Amino acid sequence: MKGIVKSLAVTMSTFMRRPVTRNYPTVHRELPERDRAFPLLLWDQDIDEPFCTGCHACERACPVECMTVLMKDNPAHESQGGTSKRRKIVDEFWIDYGRCMRCNICVEVCNFEAIAMNNTWRGHEMSVYDRSDLVMDLPQLMMQSKANEIHEWVAD
Amino acid sequence: MVTEPVPEFETQDLLINVGPQHPSTHGVFRMVMEIDGEVVKDVIPHIGYLHRGAEKLCENNDFRQGVGYMDRTEYLAAHNAELSYVMAVEALAELEVPARAQWIRMILCELNRLSSHFMFFGAFGVDVGVFGTPFVYAWRERETLIDLFEEISGDRMMYAYFRAGGLAWEVPPNFKERVREVLKSSRQGVKDFDGLLTENEIFIARTKNVGIISAEDAIEIGMSGPSLRASGVPLDIRKTEPYLFYDQVEFDVPLGENGDVFDRYYVRLQEMEQSMRIIEQCLDRLEDGPIMPERMPRMLRLPEGQEVYIRTEAPRGEYGVYLVSKGGNKPWRLKVRSACLSNLQALKQMSVGQYVADAIIILGSIDIVLSEVDR
Amino acid sequence: MSDGIFGIENTWLDAAIRIQLIVGLMTIVVMGLIYAERKILARFQQRLGPTRTGPAGLLQSLADALKLVGKEDLRPRNADPWTFELAPYLVFVPVFMSFVVVPFVVGWQVRIVELGLIYFVAVSSLSIIGWIMAGWGSDNRYAMIGGMRAAAQGISYELPLVLALISVAMVANSYDLNEIVAGQGRWPNVVWQPMVVVVFVIAGLAELNRTPFDIPVGESEVVGGPFVEYSGIRWSMFFLAEYAALFIMALIFAAVFLGGWAWPLGEEWGRWWQLALVSIKAGLFIFFVFWVRASVPRLRIDQLMSFSWKILLPLMLVQVLVNGAVLVYGGPLWILTIAGLVGIAVLVKLVGHAVSQPRPKVVVAASAEGEVAS
Repeated sequence: MKGIVKSLAVTMSTFMRRPVTRNYPTVHRELPERDRAFPLLLWDQDIDEPFCTGCHACERACPVECMTVLMKDNPAHESQGGTSKRRKIVDEFWIDYGRCMRCNICVEVCNFEAIAMNNTWRGHEMSVYDRSDLVMDLPQLMMQSKANEIHEWVAD
Repeated sequence: MVTEPVPEFETQDLLINVGPQHPSTHGVFRMVMEIDGEVVKDVIPHIGYLHRGAEKLCENNDFRQGVGYMDRTEYLAAHNAELSYVMAVEALAELEVPARAQWIRMILCELNRLSSHFMFFGAFGVDVGVFGTPFVYAWRERETLIDLFEEISGDRMMYAYFRAGGLAWEVPPNFKERVREVLKSSRQGVKDFDGLLTENEIFIARTKNVGIISAEDAIEIGMSGPSLRASGVPLDIRKTEPYLFYDQVEFDVPLGENGDVFDRYYVRLQEMEQSMRIIEQCLDRLEDGPIMPERMPRMLRLPEGQEVYIRTEAPRGEYGVYLVSKGGNKPWRLKVRSACLSNLQALKQMSVGQYVADAIIILGSIDIVLSEVDR
Repeated sequence: MSDGIFGIENTWLDAAIRIQLIVGLMTIVVMGLIYAERKILARFQQRLGPTRTGPAGLLQSLADALKLVGKEDLRPRNADPWTFELAPYLVFVPVFMSFVVVPFVVGWQVRIVELGLIYFVAVSSLSIIGWIMAGWGSDNRYAMIGGMRAAAQGISYELPLVLALISVAMVANSYDLNEIVAGQGRWPNVVWQPMVVVVFVIAGLAELNRTPFDIPVGESEVVGGPFVEYSGIRWSMFFLAEYAALFIMALIFAAVFLGGWAWPLGEEWGRWWQLALVSIKAGLFIFFVFWVRASVPRLRIDQLMSFSWKILLPLMLVQVLVNGAVLVYGGPLWILTIAGLVGIAVLVKLVGHAVSQPRPKVVVAASAEGEVAS
């Protein structure tokens, strides 16, 4: 019987501790800086255009082939009278979040630091009713960075 | 007086299907048990519900992309799975991993052993019949551990953090303090489990002398890991073929006596204590330095026609990776030697002759994770 | 005979009103018990219980009840119609019938029955038939297994339970619950019969089909036991019956062992204080039942049976003999206390011997040279 009394004692000691429940969704815990949700494209606030040039590096590196990228000549390039140094710019960009496995390889291979993992709660709360809504296009991918909501973390 | 012999009363054995959906949260595993009254006569396992073709998929992915697939083959102990793969690639590419990366890898693998064994206690407690208390304790402890993993690698379960040559990126600056905090909380968790179950008479009555497998049988079947050590066989790959820096730290290898369910539980409990001991020593020896070798090629290419088999001590047993290279940056063949699949072969031998209620506990005590059985 | 309630003289009307009050009280108390169980179990597991339905989750039981009412009432095609449909009543009604004898406060009970204790035991064992009917009538082999196990367990643990109550009746010299309570003005019966209290609690847990004796409703094996085919209101009748039985057992425990309303305050303190006292004592038993549920694994059916027949029953028979000897030969009652404490020691020893394992020793190999045992 002694063992049973010991078990009862352990449960009673847990009874006295504070509950560890977080009351989601009323309370959202603070996500660490390196948290990896789905990839997002970053917006260059100084020149008002995306960092991404559409170079296909991430598309080739993706293990699950979830991205489709198209590039075009940059109408805002200096040769055309604009202020940008980017000769090419991204035209269309689709990422299928349903396929993405969040491995971070696209972020590592990007030469322009144009793509980063979403480390906000918006990246985790992605429920949709139809799976095809998970295919994100360029405006959706740039939305959060344009609105200056992202403090992205990219490894050195 | 001559009487006629009484004819044998023919009864048919009952076939019970413990279906792919369990209340016991082991994953999708189907057992068809033939029982006679309450005694199990035969167990026919059906696996394959979680087969995703990880090995074939890795043939089309280079050595950085494959890491993501490897940690999905054993999601509860993902660092150990990644470690085997990455060590295989390093062996073929003859890369020299810097010391700091090795120490950090050791710490993370042992932390993962802690979190995997906590999960075992949780599921096992549910099997034995305690309403939910061990399960909730397990998740409380796992939360602290995976919060730590999230701060380091960014993801809570599929880390993709190891790379051939070292680590993907540097750990955060407060790494040592955080690990110490987590160790403190895990110590409390281990104490809770110990007090709750180990000396409980009902628990002992349920688990002692149940599901015994002898040392010879276990070796013949090919078991490894804590299930093998519970039968008394002192085989721990960290001691016999030390990798990383296991030969430079001190730790003991707990062994069991009978090879029953209680021993498998108790060996895992002791292993957690030893893991915490290892982590403390690693934290003391961790120094600054690089985490990747200096001349790392952009795209790792292996010489043609090489093969290697690397084994490591995952929380469930010997997790081995057999890699054949064909020149170029993708493997020719990647085979994963799954510890759980080999351990599962012992299920029939352990269960036949036991009661039905015990068959569930025996399955729980082997501690399988279906993604590794099926890959 | 007590005065009519609210001064009503007609015995039939008086009985009807009392019964209505009891039924109404029971429904509310049971719903409160379900909520209390979820909250208390949650606290044992370091989490919150229901928090969202109503303030602090108080309306959770009501929400569950409404959901169950709205469910479709299924019946398996090959289920025997009479057995299947009558089984919930046979589980539910005997529990309510036992409320007739339970004394809440002096003067507040449905009827004073001279053989109250015997009535309680007899009526509560009727529900075992209900379990068997549920198991057999469901046309499902798992339900059948569950029903058989429930019946075997129920019958096996009736004996220690009855003997426990009889031992107390011997000491109190009456079967009437009111007199048993009134006789505890000085000392509660737990002082004279410590071992009987332990055995009563264990046998009570088994009769209620509660952990560690909840094999019939074991969740990880035969999911749901004999109730696996029931849905909606029928299932909720089983569920309510279980909690009502828990409440009754707690009240009987408070009345018989802890002194009901009579100890330590006595009758001078007024009805509401006495009611509070009884509630606290019953609450202790209920809290203990929840505590055990959160901490202890489940026994296997054969271990359960052998525990009852081989350990509890012989101990109780010896206890009855000792009671008889002391009471007939006029010895002082503290002999019973000592005998009871010795009995508890013997019980602990027997349990330890039955489990009979030494402290777990683990052989630790400091360095394995790589040799595998051949």
